Amino acid sequence: MPIAATQTSRISLQQLRKGDRGRIESTDLPADDAAMLRALGLRPDAPVRMCRMGQTCIVEVCDRLGGGCRIGLARSLAERVVVRRDEF
Amino acid sequence: MSVVEPKPEPPARPEAGGVESPSVRSLAEVPTRIAVLGNPNVGKTTLFNRLAGVRHKTANFPGTTQEAHLGRLVGGSSAASGEAKASAPLLIDLPGVYSLSLNVAEAQICRAVLAGELAPMGTTPAAPDALLVVVDATNLLRTLALAAEAAAMGKPMVVAVNQMDVARRRGLHVDADALSQRLGCPVVAISARTGDGIDGLVSALRQPVQPLKEFGGLGERSEIEAWADSVYAEVASASSPVSNKLADRLDAAFTHPLVGVGLFAAVMTGLFWVIFRLANYPMDWIDALFGWAGGTVAGTLPEGPIQSLLVDGVIAGVGATVIFLPQIVLLFFLLSLLEGTGYLARAAFVIDRLLRPFGLSGHAFVPLLSGHACALPGIMAARAVPDRRDRIATILAVPFMSCTARIPVYVLLTTLLFPGRPGLQALAFTGCYALGVVAGLVTSLLFRRTVLKGKSLPMALELPAYRLPDLRLALLTTRDRAWVFLRKAGVVILGISVVLWWLGTYPQSPPPREAVELQAVATAIETTGQEVWVLESRPAFGLVQGEAVSAAEVRAQAESIAARHSARRTVLGRLGATMQPVFEPLGYDRQLVIGVLASFAAREVFVSTMAVQVIGREDFDEDNGIQDALANAKRDDGTPVFGTATSWSLLVYYVLAMQCLPTLAVTAREAGGWKWAGLQLGWMTMLAYVLAAAAYRIALAMGAS
Repeated sequence: MPIAATQTSRISLQQLRKGDRGRIESTDLPADDAAMLRALGLRPDAPVRMCRMGQTCIVEVCDRLGGGCRIGLARSLAERVVVRRDEF
Repeated sequence: MSVVEPKPEPPARPEAGGVESPSVRSLAEVPTRIAVLGNPNVGKTTLFNRLAGVRHKTANFPGTTQEAHLGRLVGGSSAASGEAKASAPLLIDLPGVYSLSLNVAEAQICRAVLAGELAPMGTTPAAPDALLVVVDATNLLRTLALAAEAAAMGKPMVVAVNQMDVARRRGLHVDADALSQRLGCPVVAISARTGDGIDGLVSALRQPVQPLKEFGGLGERSEIEAWADSVYAEVASASSPVSNKLADRLDAAFTHPLVGVGLFAAVMTGLFWVIFRLANYPMDWIDALFGWAGGTVAGTLPEGPIQSLLVDGVIAGVGATVIFLPQIVLLFFLLSLLEGTGYLARAAFVIDRLLRPFGLSGHAFVPLLSGHACALPGIMAARAVPDRRDRIATILAVPFMSCTARIPVYVLLTTLLFPGRPGLQALAFTGCYALGVVAGLVTSLLFRRTVLKGKSLPMALELPAYRLPDLRLALLTTRDRAWVFLRKAGVVILGISVVLWWLGTYPQSPPPREAVELQAVATAIETTGQEVWVLESRPAFGLVQGEAVSAAEVRAQAESIAARHSARRTVLGRLGATMQPVFEPLGYDRQLVIGVLASFAAREVFVSTMAVQVIGREDFDEDNGIQDALANAKRDDGTPVFGTATSWSLLVYYVLAMQCLPTLAVTAREAGGWKWAGLQLGWMTMLAYVLAAAAYRIALAMGAS
């Protein structure tokens, strides 16, 4: 079912579970906040991994070689970042 | 809403024949001013310390609390000396930024400095003629984007790829030559922590090269990111997948909603235990040093106004401030070490949730906790709060925390309120601390909804990699903080101490008849050897009715009477009498008002001032009878000075009132203007006045005397 598949793969960053991986697709934030997240590394197509879920979550922005950084993110920001969850 | 955009074509990789020779694009002479630019957490300041050595300066940018480090390029194994140092390029360490285009204070400052419109205080604004861009080998993809932004400015530059030692351990490789080709400027692989590659970087900085012209066409963020992707694919490789399991486990513990808070409490308790435990020794030494200095001056100069000014004004006033230096040094040294481990960012993350409802961010916890030792380091620690509004709210809340200077006042008043009942004294003591915390949080909430109204930056915090702390960086940071404290607070407090000394000393008046007569009696005892008996007990002086008294005891009483008489006739004493009606609703008589006014600069002075007012001696000690004397002290109308209702009122007043001039001076500096210090003083005084009056009325209504 393509529609269902689309619905489950495009979720907010806040909905990723611990250990889930995905890629940033878009943000629905004021320009300054969006620019800050983008400069921090949360940019379109960036691979991410959820390290801790919760009111404030921790996501790892990881490149193909394993470099990258971890970012603590308030719920108000994380729930307005759309990701494509990697399906295994 | 931003969406995924098609990747634009990155600038073409320079072909061999299409690139200008770097020598053509390099500066003809060694640059005179080099700006150091980089993301936060890339080791920029550690590198700056390597390049500039220990003799660098710290200065604020005008009108901001943002700091820049300034120093000459003298580092490396072939360190310059003498004249060469003076003519070496000036390095300006700019605030860490994720992007130059962001609408945040750090980026605005970087843009202004790079445009030559702004310079740290003490230097003339001028555009830097070269850039040193620091990127992180362990987070190269993101940090390359800033290098591209810098390259687009067209200034000669050098790129330092830092943390190569960590990258190697994690199996990451960066091809500096390939990166140099893509940028068109020198790229040097270094480890600022170990010093590897620093000599090569120093050489490169003497001949920076203008990057390729293609960067001028990189405007959109997506273009910069596409360029970074393309370069990263070419210059970076890994020999084995990197494991993050240890970081995962540590994060799981440190950021756990319960375990994380518990660990944070344990870490902070340990930190403050060390501070209180260790700071006592140097504080005693400083106290002894200033005591010795005062004694020496008093013994050298003849008695008179100059001696009094130096001993009671300058030495006592400066000593009262400098005594806090050990606490400040230890606090910043330990905090700097903790920050270097990567832990503090996790702590801020955990505490953010608890403080957010009060308009504060997680970064405010360390300043608030530090405020319980002394407001000065607490306010200075607020520099770690990234958002300006959050930072000022933190600075306004910190002085409500019960600092060590309040303790003598709490001890006096709780003992007077509950004599011989240590359990109730401890409860009242704890209540003072709780009232301070609540007042601080309410203050923050109030100001964040009024004068500091505006959206708080939601938590978006980079959690740096765990690593061993950098001892050298911690020591240099501590040195900078200590110097700032001594220079700013010391100078201000010196002036204020002199003013208060004058107000509390002049006009001088001759001793009253009673004191003159007692001096005569003391002289008679000394010359004739006649015995004299006490007619009325004076426990504060060890005088018991019916017992023989020595000449020294009689002289002490004479001096006490003279001191009380004199204190009431100084400007401060007369001001106390004039201001008494203002404090009438709080239940304070003339003597208490003098105590409150005299302790305006430093609240702990209240106890010694009251001792002088009541019995003419300031060496307050629980065991020597002075406390009894204070408890039994009478007003001019015969009622107790420290009635129960008045003591409650005083306790509330001293929990909430500012009564600390060094704090005001540091607030003005850290918050960016005296208007904030004025607001802090006005708000704290008003709150203290209203709630102390309320406490007085409530106590009276409940039947207290």
